[in-house]
Amino acid sequence: MHGRPRKAPKPEDAAASAAKVEKLRSLQSQFLSNHHNKIYTREALEVNAKLLEINPEYYTAWNFRKLAVEHRMSQPDSDPDSVKSILNEELKVVESALKQNFKSYGAWHHRKWVLSKGHSSIDNELRLLDRYQKVDPRNFHAWNYRRCVLLSNLLKRKVQRFFPKEVVLNEEYNLVHQALFTDPDDQSGWFYHLWLLDQTVKADVPLLVSSWPAHDDLILLGDRNLDDCALSPFTTFHFYSGTFPLIVCFDQAVEGVNSSTISVETVLNTEKELTWKPLSINDSKTSQVWVTHLNYPDAKLQSSEAYPVEVRVGHSKGIISSSGFLLNHTSRFVFKVLLQPIEKDPAGHGGEMISWGDGNFLLYETPSQKSNPMISLDQMNIMDEHEQKSSQWRAETIANEIALFQELLSEINCKIGKLTLARLLMARDILLSPCANKTVHSEEVIKLYDDLTNSDPPHSQYYKDERSLVLLQQITSSRESLLRYCFRHRDGTSSLIDNSFCLRLNNLSLSRMGSIEKLLWVQMLDLSHNELQSIEGLEAMQLLSCLNLSNNRLSSFTALGPLRLLKSLLVLDISFNEIGSHSIDTTRYLCPSPLSHSEEIVQSYDETVTGGVSLTDYWEAFLIFRGLNLSQLDIHGNAVADEKLNSFLVKIVPTLKWLDGGKLH
Amino acid sequence: MESSAATTTPTVTQRDQWMVEYQVFQKYELFASLPRNAKSAMLELQRDNHMEYLTKGLKRLEPSFSVLDANRPWLCYWILHSIALLDEFVESELEDNAIEFLSRCQDPNGGYGGGPGQMPHLATTYAAVNSLITVGGEQSLSSINREKLYMFLRRMKQASGAFRMHDAGEIDVRACYTTISVASVLNMLDDELVQNVGDYILSCQTYEGGIAGEPGAEAHGGYTFCGLATMILINEVNRLDLAGLLDWVAFRQGKECGFQGRTNKLVDSCYSFWQGGAFALLQRLHSILDEQLAHRHSRGNCSNDSPQIGVASDICDGEKGGEGTSSQVDKTCHFMLRGLDASRPGNINCIGYNFIKQPAEEEPLFHSWALQQYILLCSQDLKGGLRDKPGKSRDYYHTCYSLSGLSVCQHSRSHDEDSPPLPSALMGPYSNLLERIHPLFNVILERYYEAHEFFAKS
Repeated sequence: MHGRPRKAPKPEDAAASAAKVEKLRSLQSQFLSNHHNKIYTREALEVNAKLLEINPEYYTAWNFRKLAVEHRMSQPDSDPDSVKSILNEELKVVESALKQNFKSYGAWHHRKWVLSKGHSSIDNELRLLDRYQKVDPRNFHAWNYRRCVLLSNLLKRKVQRFFPKEVVLNEEYNLVHQALFTDPDDQSGWFYHLWLLDQTVKADVPLLVSSWPAHDDLILLGDRNLDDCALSPFTTFHFYSGTFPLIVCFDQAVEGVNSSTISVETVLNTEKELTWKPLSINDSKTSQVWVTHLNYPDAKLQSSEAYPVEVRVGHSKGIISSSGFLLNHTSRFVFKVLLQPIEKDPAGHGGEMISWGDGNFLLYETPSQKSNPMISLDQMNIMDEHEQKSSQWRAETIANEIALFQELLSEINCKIGKLTLARLLMARDILLSPCANKTVHSEEVIKLYDDLTNSDPPHSQYYKDERSLVLLQQITSSRESLLRYCFRHRDGTSSLIDNSFCLRLNNLSLSRMGSIEKLLWVQMLDLSHNELQSIEGLEAMQLLSCLNLSNNRLSSFTALGPLRLLKSLLVLDISFNEIGSHSIDTTRYLCPSPLSHSEEIVQSYDETVTGGVSLTDYWEAFLIFRGLNLSQLDIHGNAVADEKLNSFLVKIVPTLKWLDGGKLH
Repeated sequence: MESSAATTTPTVTQRDQWMVEYQVFQKYELFASLPRNAKSAMLELQRDNHMEYLTKGLKRLEPSFSVLDANRPWLCYWILHSIALLDEFVESELEDNAIEFLSRCQDPNGGYGGGPGQMPHLATTYAAVNSLITVGGEQSLSSINREKLYMFLRRMKQASGAFRMHDAGEIDVRACYTTISVASVLNMLDDELVQNVGDYILSCQTYEGGIAGEPGAEAHGGYTFCGLATMILINEVNRLDLAGLLDWVAFRQGKECGFQGRTNKLVDSCYSFWQGGAFALLQRLHSILDEQLAHRHSRGNCSNDSPQIGVASDICDGEKGGEGTSSQVDKTCHFMLRGLDASRPGNINCIGYNFIKQPAEEEPLFHSWALQQYILLCSQDLKGGLRDKPGKSRDYYHTCYSLSGLSVCQHSRSHDEDSPPLPSALMGPYSNLLERIHPLFNVILERYYEAHEFFAKS
């Protein structure tokens, strides 16, 4: 209603307008009687169209049209031609309604509805949009509709195995460039560009990006042999128990991971079906990372031969992305399992406390190395001819965009332009090599984000998060760069940890975690002295046994939610964080909390935890720690830490042997 | 805007902006040149003329209003609410007519349509319910079929948590606000209605800080108010990035003195309420805001680089003694946490009441005098009614939301409801004083209390 130019009423033709009113009244009453009596004849539709032409806001009339269309399409004599003419008629009615009021919610919505019936010509729709967007470039109805038109069109063509995505997107890029270069301060265009970039880069079809164990890995079960230490910590892993996890990681959240979509074949196979679980902290059925556990309890099978285990992901169809695309490549990897005799009692955790002091770490020096586990999946992804063409187009488009924005930024200083350039550069790196991520541009991107953090403090948190992701991609991009962060812990012989090999990502100003898919093998991780507020993503690191999160900015126990899925965690340091410093917990909403009603309430704990400390005082701590089997915990240096909390923790974590550096009895 | 103008030819947007600035500044210059008593006359709210314009609309509208045929409850609300803001009364016959008319708009299966026989729609339902609350009294309030209305609201609920405006209609933030507002004021908000609404609103908060109509769209004043008010009413307001929202809304007040609805758009008086009303809400959220800011800046060194945030916390520290601040913070947190414990049914319906009962924590962070100046000098039609901006014609929509915004300005500095605003808070003569509104629902506060009490019993 508002903002639309209104014609000044002319009092002299009062009679004419009275006649108009009379006509409108009669149209309305005819329409309502048709509507209530479900009359969908041609005459009824004409009355309705006249009414909408005068008043497009009449939403009841739009619904009547939807009912009428469905009624007419369900008639036995309807054929493709008649359906086409019916829907054409609808488009015409919308168009004349938009002439009267191009901000009509009802009219735009009706057009979307017609589109959803599978009828539209993209040219027509874009022509219509061009017209309205010329009149009012800020009409958000039109921009929303543009998104909807393109999206539905792309989906449709995709189904037909015909790929105009490139052509369509190219035209759209041209259009948005004109808008951006004319007026870089106008945001509507930037929004649209962001969405286009997403459409260009996003792979629709889900892809397996990594697994643990990876191809060619060797898993040792049973007692530890001293010779094992000589083996590569990247590819050889040891477990005392006969159980180890099998983790698969996709490039996007998927569902449908189960024993029929992923086959696991080995001569050792127990008949039991494997149960796959999504590693997701919010109980959803979709996840990027899935885990199952392989179990070899039978020590009789031990031999000096390693048994191969062959895993086929996508064995049968059924793994599907949340946007509905099926995983269509089968990926195969083989690792080996060696069962060794169990003689001595695996003491579980020993008497020694793990210390995180710098003096305890020695830079890992690699013995001569052969295979790189991080690229082993690369070879499995075979592209068909079309995909090659498509990815070539993507690379070219992104390169074009980069050149354009570098030019624009050389002339003006524009925050959102810098952000767009940073995203484009990262997109190029990813496109160049989807799995091994050659990060040629990461230095430049990091510089852009640092610049943005300084010049735009209100959004600094976002820039820091993005910067963290880029930095982690850079670190994990190659074996050489990763080795700079790999250390060997002095207490290598301690029975507390199976592997003294430690990844140290401390002092990097990280505000969030990323690149987890390349770090699935990590058992000991040092993230201390960063700026982490959330540890989302860590839940995928199923092998973690020692984790140092000290000196970060974690502000609540709920922020530790991902730890609940790390069943093998033994040593945890969360000292010197901000737990308890903030009376309102904003991270609560990033993680499930007792208040989000997703937690089952365990009544029986009310009785077991007593002794002056009420469960409700530390409800969030309880939810995090009750499922963990920690033997060492450091929590001092948080506002919440005191004697009362300590005695509470000792009660709910019976396995605890060391608390804040002191030995418990 | 100005820097890029030097290098390129002006865009349409720029030309329009300059035109509006020119018209507005002309008015201000004229005003500045006037002698004192003439100034005071120019700032006077033309109560009689506004009443005449409003009453006329309640009786008979010109044919040009036919485009609003599907919005007739809105016309009732805009006019009745404007009259109530002026603390004037309508003849009881007209009130009865309004109640009777709205009853005819009520669908047998719940909800109100845009006119008799039209299908029920969430926006017109909101308008009808607010109109009936504004009329007040047993007959008016009891004409709402709450049970059926509740079923209608449930029918509009989508699996995603959001709502459809009507059967097969569009999904957006308006739909969420009108549902939650109506359910809250009628004391029937429950877990089923609230579920996942917060997720949807959150998905609409953009990088600018404001809230868009639907995910992926641009931050917009009307939707920002709707989203913020919704989040307060469902007690999830601390999930929003409040600092970002405040930052965005603060910069929507331009040198024309009024508010714009979106970045780089023209000033429009209706945003006096949509944006100004958001400030009335944010005034009561400072402890949460401070928490979020403290969180963000506790280690970073960027607090010096961000002036607007620095100002916000300076005011907090400066205005109140240390003791007062801490007790205030505790109280609010307690309230929010108690509200979040929504396991006890019915609790969530009191949020609207508790929210207005607690005193405003801070002075408003917009320029209240400047906004009053824009409304009185630029949007007031001296013959009655208010308009978008100079050069546009008056209408009931802009009359309603300009007056609502003016009321927000006038009461923004009084910390509790019992003390009337000081003359210094008002621009123009004290006779300009309008009735106080409840900023979450935009109905007159007293009428809200009456309705709250009435529906608390049912």
